[in-house]
Amino acid sequence: MVNPTRTSRPFNSVALPALAAGALVVVAIGPIVLDRFAVNVLTRSMIYAVLAITVDILWGYAGILTFGQAAFFGIGAYATAIVATHVGDSPAMMALGFVLAVATPMLLGLLVGWLSFYHNSTPLYASVISLVFPIVVTQLVFSGGVWTGSSSGLVGYTTLPLELGGFFRLAGFCLIVIAVAAWIFVKSDAGKLLIAIRDNETRCSYLGLNTSRFKILLTACLAGVAGLAGFLYAHASGVVAPENTGFVFGTELVVWTALGGRGTILGPILGAIGIDYLSANLSGELPFLYQLIVGALFVVMIIVVPGGLAAVVTKIAGIGTNPTAIASVTVKGVASRPSAGWVEARDALIKIENLGKSYGSHHVLEGIDLSVRAGELVSLVGPNGAGKTTLMRCVSDGTLEATGVRQVCGRSIVRLTPSDIVALGVGRKFQVASVFDSLTVADCLRMARMAIDPPSVFAASRTLALPLSSERIVKLTGLDQLLDSSVSLLSHGQKQSLELAMVVALEPRLILLDEPTAGLTKPERTMIGGILKSLTEELGVAAILVEHDLDFVREISSRIVVLHQGKLVLDGSVEEVVNSALVKSVYSGGGHA
Amino acid sequence: MKNRAILTALAGLLLSTAAFAQSGEAIKIGVPVGLSGANSVVAPSVVQSSQLAVDEINAAGGVLGRPLALEIADDASGAAGAQRAFDSLVYQKSVNVIISMETSAARNAGLPIIAKGNVPYIYTSFYEGRSCNKNLFVDAWVPEQQVPPIVDNFMKAAKAKKFYLIGSDYSFGRGMLQFSRAYIEKSGGTVVGEDYLPMDGSDWTAIVSKLKASGAEAIITSTAGGAPNVTLTKQLKAAGVNLPYGNLAVDEGTAKGMGKDAAGIYISASYVTSIDSPANQKFLKAMADKFGKDLKTPNDLSVPQYEAIYLYKAAVEKAKSTDTAAVVAALPGVSFEGPRGVISMSKQHHAPLTMYLGQVGDDGGVKVVDTFKDVDPGAQCPNL
Amino acid sequence: MTLLLDIATTAAVLFIVASGLLAIFGVLKIINFAHGAWLTVGAYCSVLIAHWGLNPWLSLPFAFLVGAALGALTERLIVKPLYRRPLDAILATWGLGIVIGQLITLWFGRDVQMTPNLMSGTVGFLGVDYSAYRLFAVVAALAVGIGFTFLLDGTRLGLSARAVIMNESLARALGIDTGNVRLLTFVIGTGLAGLAGALLTPLTSVDPNMGVAWLIGAFMLVMVAGSSFGALAVACLLFGGAQVLVSTFLNPVLGGVTIAVLCALVLRLNPKGFARG
Repeated sequence: MVNPTRTSRPFNSVALPALAAGALVVVAIGPIVLDRFAVNVLTRSMIYAVLAITVDILWGYAGILTFGQAAFFGIGAYATAIVATHVGDSPAMMALGFVLAVATPMLLGLLVGWLSFYHNSTPLYASVISLVFPIVVTQLVFSGGVWTGSSSGLVGYTTLPLELGGFFRLAGFCLIVIAVAAWIFVKSDAGKLLIAIRDNETRCSYLGLNTSRFKILLTACLAGVAGLAGFLYAHASGVVAPENTGFVFGTELVVWTALGGRGTILGPILGAIGIDYLSANLSGELPFLYQLIVGALFVVMIIVVPGGLAAVVTKIAGIGTNPTAIASVTVKGVASRPSAGWVEARDALIKIENLGKSYGSHHVLEGIDLSVRAGELVSLVGPNGAGKTTLMRCVSDGTLEATGVRQVCGRSIVRLTPSDIVALGVGRKFQVASVFDSLTVADCLRMARMAIDPPSVFAASRTLALPLSSERIVKLTGLDQLLDSSVSLLSHGQKQSLELAMVVALEPRLILLDEPTAGLTKPERTMIGGILKSLTEELGVAAILVEHDLDFVREISSRIVVLHQGKLVLDGSVEEVVNSALVKSVYSGGGHA
Repeated sequence: MKNRAILTALAGLLLSTAAFAQSGEAIKIGVPVGLSGANSVVAPSVVQSSQLAVDEINAAGGVLGRPLALEIADDASGAAGAQRAFDSLVYQKSVNVIISMETSAARNAGLPIIAKGNVPYIYTSFYEGRSCNKNLFVDAWVPEQQVPPIVDNFMKAAKAKKFYLIGSDYSFGRGMLQFSRAYIEKSGGTVVGEDYLPMDGSDWTAIVSKLKASGAEAIITSTAGGAPNVTLTKQLKAAGVNLPYGNLAVDEGTAKGMGKDAAGIYISASYVTSIDSPANQKFLKAMADKFGKDLKTPNDLSVPQYEAIYLYKAAVEKAKSTDTAAVVAALPGVSFEGPRGVISMSKQHHAPLTMYLGQVGDDGGVKVVDTFKDVDPGAQCPNL
Repeated sequence: MTLLLDIATTAAVLFIVASGLLAIFGVLKIINFAHGAWLTVGAYCSVLIAHWGLNPWLSLPFAFLVGAALGALTERLIVKPLYRRPLDAILATWGLGIVIGQLITLWFGRDVQMTPNLMSGTVGFLGVDYSAYRLFAVVAALAVGIGFTFLLDGTRLGLSARAVIMNESLARALGIDTGNVRLLTFVIGTGLAGLAGALLTPLTSVDPNMGVAWLIGAFMLVMVAGSSFGALAVACLLFGGAQVLVSTFLNPVLGGVTIAVLCALVLRLNPKGFARG
């Protein structure tokens, strides 16, 4: 996997403006020094490069492999050409063409996004939709008769009154603006969310982030950008054709992005311009051989260097070998947000009645009744396979099919997604530390606050605002010294602590913890136990803990619940349960059979 | 295998023009053609006939004392490829004229570039008609010339009144069948069905079943060349359809390849190899001599290409210059007697043509059933 | 009646084309986007058999063997490193498809190739004249389906494959060589794709791009079917039927996108497709 977060921070402040200014100069003098052929070809290549950027954001950053950008591009181009051909070519009509060229793809982008992304949708499915969409659009273009010019496309409409050089500069200018905007976006707090989604979408939704909505919006916005590129293309080339909308063009965009280096913005730009320019020069010579070489190169790249040429270059140049930058993020404690009914919620925070869950004929949970009040720390014990983790899943994901009543704060959670349930005040820590390996510690914590503090799409914050409880965990565990480190470098215990800090940063009323101490050292356990105790006793948070270590359980629990073979067999105080004969028999043999 | 043939041919071409270098700068003819993509099956024959025309003209002293040189570029049979090819030819190679057989999408993609670069453009492929530009000339047929021979014959000889039209969903397919429908209805027949499949579609099952149930007495098809044409013909045969069958998109070569599946099909063309004229005999012999065993059978696309180069020569000689305005002014007034007879693009940049109605025999050969002299292309571009 | 036969035979052809893809997707969870190229390779095997003057029926086993052999190579060189990156596997196999298509073009040329028909003409069947070969396709589809059921239920490989589908790490822990199961599955899948290509030749033309047209439909059907051959058969009947109905009563152009669009919607409404459990 590529690691796009590596690029060192000073780049944004110095190198980016310099690079953009340099590119502007090149674009301005290009038409003077280049021959007409190069000007013409590069104009088109630069427009394609805009598309490559959109593919890169979707695929390289957010991990959504898409073939559909070609269709949005084609729709933008056709909207422009159809208005100019059939409606009118006055300046007002050209403006209308522009609006339609951007708005139509955006609307369709919403539709495609809605189809592609929903709770539990798979990346493969989104790719499938992105494949079907251009096929359908192309078919519509073919059947469009005089409106779309069918297979011949549209030609001969009035274009913007620019010469070759003018279009070159316009395309170049747009490319630079979009590239800079894209760069700023992917480096911003909101941009980090893209990487977080790519790394671990489940964690995102359990941080209360509605990833589907975010991806739908992203799809719509990038569809608009592709439509803008289509508008430029329709004017610069003077012709639109069905192949501009097709999925073959969509795959070409992916090939350029892959060869240039996904997740780098710059790589795909150079990939698109380089390969398109090269193929224009080689047209006529080697038509078959050329595709053969590009195809073979592509396969080798995907297998051997998935990071593309950009990865090869950075490796050779030795850039990015030192991912740890200077610790420059500061952490700041903020008061907890006011919450209605925070303390007086003496009623059950969570109420389960007669819960049942089965896979086929196998009953994992049967007739479970459980309620937990604020300030309680309930431990869930039982042998492997007793249904503990399943129970946690049932109360944190309402889309999981189960029978019976499941309520959080008096509201039924049936059919609610994990992010909805987080919004009700439930935080869940997984058994295996679920964090974002491509991000830094600070960014991981920021993700946890994102549902509460909407992220900036421009800036990358240098401060990290955390509620006091979470800040305390960060300081106690020494994570505050590692804020700028990549999560992939953390130890197992540090990842567990980080995840706990993230969940606490959500300011939940109820925390679900699945074996938070597994694999930790004794001092680490004690520390986590202390944190949990203070959360429940001082802040009135409720916690449900799945734990095997009975000593640990005895120390911190206010109540213990025993599950055995899918049934709740005991629910009582620590004393009652620890001394019960039933528990002893369960743990000494019968349970594991 | 085929690529090697193209490359050797291109190398030979370079040698032949090099030998001429003494007298004046060469007049460059740009030929964007689908070496890859859908047209790559016929493209080699078009390249060959271009080479023969250029060689013959150069051997006879060139044009205005200057040799002709070919610049060939692959348009990948589509719009994006054509843009690259036209850019390269017009701006990089600075050709004096573009003469080419291409898909409609490629032609349309090239038009803005020839308009901006101001070069004359002779289009040598039959097409659905009504493409107009002051620099564009066409010496191949349009629906007005191709469809009537088939419809007239079916109505007279087979007494067919009910027609079924089947095509691929693209400009040519729809354009041809739209004209066919109008012509059939004008001639007193009826169209009992008209169906299209996407261009890359290959499953004609539902359409064939509808055709069989429709009571049609004759079929006219206009598919994309190559695969759709072959699949449709195969599936019609397999379903036991034995109606008079006019195919607007099949050429002699493909018909021969399909063997028994194609037997009985009617085709209408401005060129068939069996035309019995001295000009055609001479042309076929020259082609065979030049290319030997690599020869691609001359056809209704490669012959107009050959003639167009001669028409351009005549126009340059008449204008006494390669200046675009002068050549464009001269082109409608010149003519050339080639394998298809006397050709002149005198009707709104289009050419009246003699059309041949042929029928494919059991051996795949095409037998001429009827000949229609100088069929008018009709009003293609009334504004020119 | 003709309509019912159209639906049955269309479904049969789809089933034959998609079965190889399903075998691979079901066990390996990898979409072989070079599937179209394998269909093409299989069809060119028929061309070679005809060229050598052998009995056209020999092209069926020959295509299976060639497809399987190439599949073995591909699994080891290209697919194996990508099991953990399924989206990259799509791309790599798509690239491979381009390479195979271009190699075929360089070798055989772009032209449409002609092959002798395995069976020609029509037969009277339940009162209608119907294409003999299309009826044969139903028989072939049944043979493929029954063969697979036998393979999955009655052999050791099938047992291992089902174990891998259900829980791979457990399968490995039980001593199943999952690497070999994957290789064998891939080889069978590509072999079937080759066979399907040879079976298609009497219905379609043989040219270097012939496979691509079939790829999307087959791909969508497999997505809906998941990993079950029974579900694939149902999907083929249902969506193939919808395609025939739309083509017949509405518009064949719409018919061309029917399968893709309906499958996408079905997956949106029920992400598990037809696969149960």
